[in-house]
Amino acid sequence: MDLSQYAELFLAESREHLSACNQLLLAWERKPASLEPVGGLFRAVHTVKGMAATMGYAAVTDLAHRTENLLDHLRRGAHPATDELLQLLFRARDALEQAVELSVRGRERDLDLSAITAELDRAAARAGGKAGRAAAAREPPPPPIEALAAPGRLVQVVLRAEAPLKGGRALLLLKRAQALGAVHAVSPPPAAFEAEDFDGRLAFRLESAAPADQIRERLRATGDVESVTLPEEEERRAAAPAAAAGAAVEPARSRHLRVDLRRLDGLMDLIGELVTARGRLNELAAERRDPAIDDVTIQISRLTADLQAEIIQARMTPVWQVFDRFPRLVRDLARQLGKQVAFRVEGKEIELDRAILDELGDPLMHLLRNAVDHGIEPPAERRRRGKNPEAEIVLTALRERSSVAISVTDDGRGIDRATILERARRDGLVDPHAEALTDDQLLRVLARPGFSTADAVTNVSGRGVGIDVAVTRLRALGGSIEIRSQPGKGTTFVLRLPVTLAIVRALIASVGRERYALPLTYVAETVELGAAPTTTVEGREAIVLRDRVVPLVYLRQLLGVAGDAPPPRRPIIVLEMGDRRSGVVVDGMLGQQEIVVKGFDAPQGTLPVFSGATIMGDGVPALILDAGGLV
Amino acid sequence: MSDAGVVRLLLFRVGRLTCAAEAETVREILPRLQATRIPGAPPVVAGLVNVRGTLVTVVEGWRALGQPEPPTGSDGGTTVLLEVGGGRRVLGFTVDEVVDLLTVDGGALERRQALPGIDPTLVRAVGRRAGHLFVVLDTDALLTPVMPS
Repeated sequence: MDLSQYAELFLAESREHLSACNQLLLAWERKPASLEPVGGLFRAVHTVKGMAATMGYAAVTDLAHRTENLLDHLRRGAHPATDELLQLLFRARDALEQAVELSVRGRERDLDLSAITAELDRAAARAGGKAGRAAAAREPPPPPIEALAAPGRLVQVVLRAEAPLKGGRALLLLKRAQALGAVHAVSPPPAAFEAEDFDGRLAFRLESAAPADQIRERLRATGDVESVTLPEEEERRAAAPAAAAGAAVEPARSRHLRVDLRRLDGLMDLIGELVTARGRLNELAAERRDPAIDDVTIQISRLTADLQAEIIQARMTPVWQVFDRFPRLVRDLARQLGKQVAFRVEGKEIELDRAILDELGDPLMHLLRNAVDHGIEPPAERRRRGKNPEAEIVLTALRERSSVAISVTDDGRGIDRATILERARRDGLVDPHAEALTDDQLLRVLARPGFSTADAVTNVSGRGVGIDVAVTRLRALGGSIEIRSQPGKGTTFVLRLPVTLAIVRALIASVGRERYALPLTYVAETVELGAAPTTTVEGREAIVLRDRVVPLVYLRQLLGVAGDAPPPRRPIIVLEMGDRRSGVVVDGMLGQQEIVVKGFDAPQGTLPVFSGATIMGDGVPALILDAGGLV
Repeated sequence: MSDAGVVRLLLFRVGRLTCAAEAETVREILPRLQATRIPGAPPVVAGLVNVRGTLVTVVEGWRALGQPEPPTGSDGGTTVLLEVGGGRRVLGFTVDEVVDLLTVDGGALERRQALPGIDPTLVRAVGRRAGHLFVVLDTDALLTPVMPS
């Protein structure tokens, strides 16, 4: 049978379970006496084992089995966590992850798991002892019915308790079953039949047209078979309480459905088309002034809006899906560097569009690495400075108006501005007479690609590493990054992102005969040029708005728009990104509307101020201005 | 393009030139669409057009091939959507008119050769139709320099 169609699903589910393992191990590390994490670990590894067996990934199955075996002993023996055990289990988890990833790519052969399996077995032997094994015998594992949903009828077999060589018998029975039809989802996996704790119960799915009686008869003929249960009996027995024994390992009934992201993207594109078509319909209806058409138009508008809201919601994913890998990352890095870190995550439930979230992992990883490596002082130094030797790093997600702010805060030494200023002066990045760097200038200097090379900033603290990567990535997502740093007190990076990329409300502005869209996410207000006096600040024209200087950007000049002289009184769109503001001068405003954001192949030389393009109601494209490129 | 075997070509006119592109790289032939200027892009880029909801960057054929600008007010010509870079990308190319779809023997085409009035690096081969010469364009060479790799 071709299982490749399940491979993606297997990968996704395994990753989830293995990610959960990380959280559980960290929880166990914090509370070494607690038994709950071990139980959770056991169940997660057990599930991965079942799935891997179904997929025929022998290496994963075997490794999972040995890990599970150790966990089982730990669970039964109420073993507290030790550093040694945790290290081993972390490594086993990592090995499992690698085994899963390679197996799915058909590279099972590249795996060498002999070292880790030997260690797991030794640890299991130490943890287990005879008592553990006796307990295992007394307490039969629940009927082994779990695995991916597979076609065919569920067949459950129990071998006679006194039967010798149960493993061999079970394999024989499977062979006979295969003669009747295709066999899937064998549980426990055949690799586990030879294990000491195989109790003679197995289950599988059989795709066969043979009547139940015939199947039962053939399988019984294997010998030493106590019972063979097929669907009719299954239904009858389901009513009986005996079936409850399987509850612990029954697959969780989830009301969630896994959908390929490409499907959602396709759906989003279609909705986009619909939104565009709706715009056209609205224009036509306004021309016709026919009440009947107006009614339909209004109804279609409402339905489209609802549909759009639903599909955007379907794409929303809580940030923990990306955040959950960080506690482990921070822990490992801190250990490796000999630092003590308490890592906290807040606002895990905040949601972002899946496409944005997927892009966020790398920049956040860079920032967290920086925080542990360069932001935080070694414990001794912290003590000398009268700080808690255990540093704190907080990762927070916070919903703002129509954006989400994600911040990485450390209570470390802060960025050494003097050194950076000196270097920035030398490189001509700031006025040679500049006395200090604002947070804003600091970021600009740090985000320069050339500045991020390790050797250039070794003495500074290496803060530049990866910041240019983060800034570039954020900008591509229509987001921004901000930095706040206080010497001796720590550093905070704030990433601001739109909640969704796909459809945004935007101002449509005209410049000459061209139209541009400006997402409302970063629009603070609009004022009129000429209404407020302009001044010149640092060589740039600016207006003063409620005591704040807002530098102006003339879009006509910036974009090289041809055409007649613009009207003297025209709108300024004030953009706000964190603390930074900028006034974009346009010729006129054409209104506000929902736009569908699309990518386009930007030719060589395209000005770096566009985040995409959209299709207007008349079917003609308009470019979307990137607030990050203008502020 | 192999020397032997049959090659299908789409023939079109750009200014005074008759050009051809391999038919298998032609995704679609469309009337000229209203393009949105992309600030900063080189003049050879006509802009961005909407092809049933997908945005396509269009290259102005007469500029790319050094032909005179078509008179304004003419009916606008045609946009040919071409796959470039082995199908990884689709770009539009404006032409004055599509002339013919031709099946020729690969051997009948002469390898790249210099022709007056056209940059030789853009020519893959030269063929003949009804006694007139046409150039088979190297569409990758023509369009990829416009786009960042």
